[in-house]
Amino acid sequence: MSDSLSIAVSGLIAARQSLSTVSHNIANSTREGYSRQRVELGTRPPELTGAGYFGTGVLSQDITRVYNQFLVNNVRDGTTSFNQFDTFFDFAAQIDNILADPQVGVVPVLDDFFDAVQAVADDPTSVAARTALLGEAGSMISRFDFIYQRLTDIGQSINTEIKSVTTEINGIASAIGNLNKQMLLAGNNGKQANDLLDQRDLLVQDLSKLVAVRTFEQADGSLDVFVGNGQPLVVGPLSQVLTTVNSADDPTRLEIAFVQGNTPIEISSLLSGGKIGGLLDYRNQLLEPAINGLGRVAIGLADSFNDQHKLGQDLNGSLGTSFFKVASPQVLVNANNTGTATIAASIVNVDDLTNSDYALTYNGGNAYTLTRLSDNTTTAISTGGASPFVTQEIDGFSLTITGTAGAVVGDRYLIQPTRAGARDISALITDPEDIAAAAPIRTVNTFANIGDGVISAGTVNSPNNQVTITFTAPAVFDVVDNTTGATLATGLAYGGGPQNVSFNGWTVTLNGAPNAGDTFSIDQVVTTLGSGNGGSGTISAATVSAAGSDPDLRDPVTITFNNPPTTYTVTGSTTGSPTAGITYTAGQPISFNGWTVDISGTPAVGDTFTIGPNTNGVSDNRNALILAGLQNTRTLGNGTASYSDTYGELVANVGTRTRQAEINTESQRVLLNQAITAREAVSGVNLDEEAANLLKFQQLFQANAQVIAVANSLFQEIIAAVRG
Amino acid sequence: MRISTNQFQILGVNAILDQQAKVSKTQLQLSTGRRLLQPSDDPVAATRVLSLTEALTQGEQFQKNIIYAESRLGITEGKIDGVINLLQRVREMALQANSGFLSTTDRDNISQEIRERAAELLGLANSTNVNGEYIFAGFQGQTQPFSQTAAGTFNYAGDEGQRFLQISENRQIAVTESGTDVFRQIRNGNGTFTTNYNTANSGSGVIDPGSVNGSFISDTYTITFSQPTPTSPITYGVTGATSGVVVAPGTAYVDGADILFNGVRTNVTGTPANGDSFTVVPSTNQDMFTTVENFVSALAIGTTTSNGAAASNNQINRVIIDLDRALDNVVKTQARVGARQNAIANQKSLNDEQILDTREVLSDTQDLDIAEAASRLSRQLVSLQAAQQVFIKVQNLSLFNFLS
Repeated sequence: MSDSLSIAVSGLIAARQSLSTVSHNIANSTREGYSRQRVELGTRPPELTGAGYFGTGVLSQDITRVYNQFLVNNVRDGTTSFNQFDTFFDFAAQIDNILADPQVGVVPVLDDFFDAVQAVADDPTSVAARTALLGEAGSMISRFDFIYQRLTDIGQSINTEIKSVTTEINGIASAIGNLNKQMLLAGNNGKQANDLLDQRDLLVQDLSKLVAVRTFEQADGSLDVFVGNGQPLVVGPLSQVLTTVNSADDPTRLEIAFVQGNTPIEISSLLSGGKIGGLLDYRNQLLEPAINGLGRVAIGLADSFNDQHKLGQDLNGSLGTSFFKVASPQVLVNANNTGTATIAASIVNVDDLTNSDYALTYNGGNAYTLTRLSDNTTTAISTGGASPFVTQEIDGFSLTITGTAGAVVGDRYLIQPTRAGARDISALITDPEDIAAAAPIRTVNTFANIGDGVISAGTVNSPNNQVTITFTAPAVFDVVDNTTGATLATGLAYGGGPQNVSFNGWTVTLNGAPNAGDTFSIDQVVTTLGSGNGGSGTISAATVSAAGSDPDLRDPVTITFNNPPTTYTVTGSTTGSPTAGITYTAGQPISFNGWTVDISGTPAVGDTFTIGPNTNGVSDNRNALILAGLQNTRTLGNGTASYSDTYGELVANVGTRTRQAEINTESQRVLLNQAITAREAVSGVNLDEEAANLLKFQQLFQANAQVIAVANSLFQEIIAAVRG
Repeated sequence: MRISTNQFQILGVNAILDQQAKVSKTQLQLSTGRRLLQPSDDPVAATRVLSLTEALTQGEQFQKNIIYAESRLGITEGKIDGVINLLQRVREMALQANSGFLSTTDRDNISQEIRERAAELLGLANSTNVNGEYIFAGFQGQTQPFSQTAAGTFNYAGDEGQRFLQISENRQIAVTESGTDVFRQIRNGNGTFTTNYNTANSGSGVIDPGSVNGSFISDTYTITFSQPTPTSPITYGVTGATSGVVVAPGTAYVDGADILFNGVRTNVTGTPANGDSFTVVPSTNQDMFTTVENFVSALAIGTTTSNGAAASNNQINRVIIDLDRALDNVVKTQARVGARQNAIANQKSLNDEQILDTREVLSDTQDLDIAEAASRLSRQLVSLQAAQQVFIKVQNLSLFNFLS
């Protein structure tokens, strides 16, 4: 009887413990990360009697949480991915809206600017139209700057965000460390501290919102947390501190660093996932390329507009000057460099520029490596011992490396060819009369001419024209302008070099010993050797005259037809050759002094045509028409895209990335929700279930109480019998 | 599958939030009238919108350019009409003056009028537009193109520059004519050669301006008449400066009969005197001011003597044919200007069509189909309501409600 009493008491205790666990579950049912608990009941050790084993009641063996590590890990991974894409998307949507907004984007001001150029072409003497053009240029410039500022502001907010996220990571890491400590203090008694474990899991999950982590549970129950490629964030009770530092490459960027000893080591590139991953991806893949892309449009526009503007003549009769100030490439010296070499970059050909930044590393000796950061394409550079050394054109720019002798292996430089493009564009022309709407030359069909020859209005050769120098013999060469189709010179003598050759406003130096048939070309002021050259001839980089066109452009030149009028002679200062006895072919381009004209019809003996300065040519709009035409000319992207195409490409790229991020965010949200549902299915509290358990354990309690009552009545029976 | 009460609630709330997001997007689309709210909604369409907008702004600018072009060509046309009327009047007078029945006073009166016409012609050639730009000065719109020198010759300070305007993406049209093209670049004589009398002539021979007979060999030819004695027959010969003798001296002269050589067909009427000569020289450019001025000087020649009358006739004949050439040139210019005006009118309607098309495509690309969006909104509102009702119903179900 005492047996059934003690059995009943064990039942009562078990029922009460179960009930309190049910209450605990109900109380915590809405708490995030809570795993429902249950009491594991076991039978007490049986008692051996002569009749066999008698049960001795029930025992609460353990209180376990219903938990599945795999499902928890899924939730953690899902949280990391979701937050990464969600952060990316949040920020991407910001630039997405700025770039294509009809009121804020660049395209509307670009259109207005070119409309104003057309208005000047409509009425070149009108100072009002010219002033309006300067006004539109100003609006366009400030729009570029405005968008640049907005984008760099976003860059600043990324820095702030990185800073606060890092602080948050540190806070969570130290909380995990503290929990580890508490668990170690509680001692390893073979029982799980369920609520502490839940709390720690929740902290790890919070941490994975910020950055991808890996965890490792030690035998003593403490949890180690690692980030990046194995940097320990929490080890047992100790947590490491992450910090933020200005990037050594680019001080405008804040990077996350892992403090080892006292030295912070940048680990941004190793981190992924979570908010941090989203922020870094966004900055590297979208924001910086967008700023560069915008800069590329600004630089491309400013540079090509300038080139054409210089080929014109303003209202005062002077040659056009640069209309815009073109931003220079930025070269940032790595903060950790110890060498003294200096690097300068300049834009050679806007056509070839890309949206990427470049890293230059010194490898020792004369060797440098230039890496295009968008796709890690590398170019080996050897200075050959020269200082300063100017590289060939690489993606539209060239580098000048000075003082390699003082360089130290590992020195790094960050080259941002287009980063400042949208910020640094400004107007150099402030006087409406300085707008070069006219062409600097005009042609005259002499009044006294007998024949019916007609001379075209003439065009000015651009230094950007594609010109080929072909050696017909080792000491004789021809020069042909492939853009206009005009022969610039034939049969020029080559004295063995170095020999300067100047056409269309540029000068190159030929040197060495070319073979007959060897060619050299100058395209967009970039010089190259013919691929099949057999000789040792070299060509220097081209330098363009300050005016941007042939210095003799406006010298008066007379073309006189000989007897018989099948040939003509050119007099006046000329850069072309030959100048006498040139065979006349109707309609064939004739080029001297940096201009090209054609004569058609049948000139008579002694007929003359003159090409000279466009004095008083205030009503001429030829250059304005060409400038207006630039709007639709494919000037950028290797001659594949107009200004607005290039900008449109930027908008499309940002739009597509934003859309992708949105889709990824949505799909990650679904995956995360599924993971949470799966985890909740196992660990979550169902109140109906708990209500049922409540009834079940209440009944258990009542039944055991009843057993005690029975035991009691049996006991009373015996007492009564003894009294009896 | 087990579902936790917490999850049950989150699912319900998420369903409501999702529906609200959809409703909010549709609401925004309806309130802006735009299908594309941000480029990422449809990046391809967004880029398309940019280029369509650009095409539209450009198209509108081309229409503005066309208005300029129309006004420029209109002014030119008006002035050219004036020149044509003027030249025709001068030509009538020249015919009148050549009729031979005019008194000296009549000739003086004509001369008076021609001088005024000459001044008027110079005024037309120096016309300006509303901006004060000389329209026939080529590129030098702020320099007066035509002036008469003290010596009486005419000077042109302009050039042959022609202004073009962009009237579509790949079409430029000339909107000016230079002074040279309209007033100066006019071949004198019959366009190939001119016939001239020698001012020393004493006979009454008058030479016809002639015409090209086959192919003209460019040279300066002299037709020399000979009549050694008053009774001997009149003969002539023709010599070219480089060609040498082309018609042997001693060829019999017949009044009004063709004289043919080296592509020249002309004739002489009247009675040339011994030693009288005429020249045939290749045409050169002669501006119409000089032509009119030549008329004035012809009228100043006294016609009382037979050789004076012949000189006057010879000169006025030249003036008439030169005027014909000038008229021909101006009418050609008028036709060119007219053709351009037509071309512009055509381009204008083409541009209009293109602008309309672009607008339509733009609207299709970015604008909202209101009917579709409205019905979508009502569908979404129904879904939202359903989600809310389900949530309330489900939340009210709990076993605890039955425990008492």
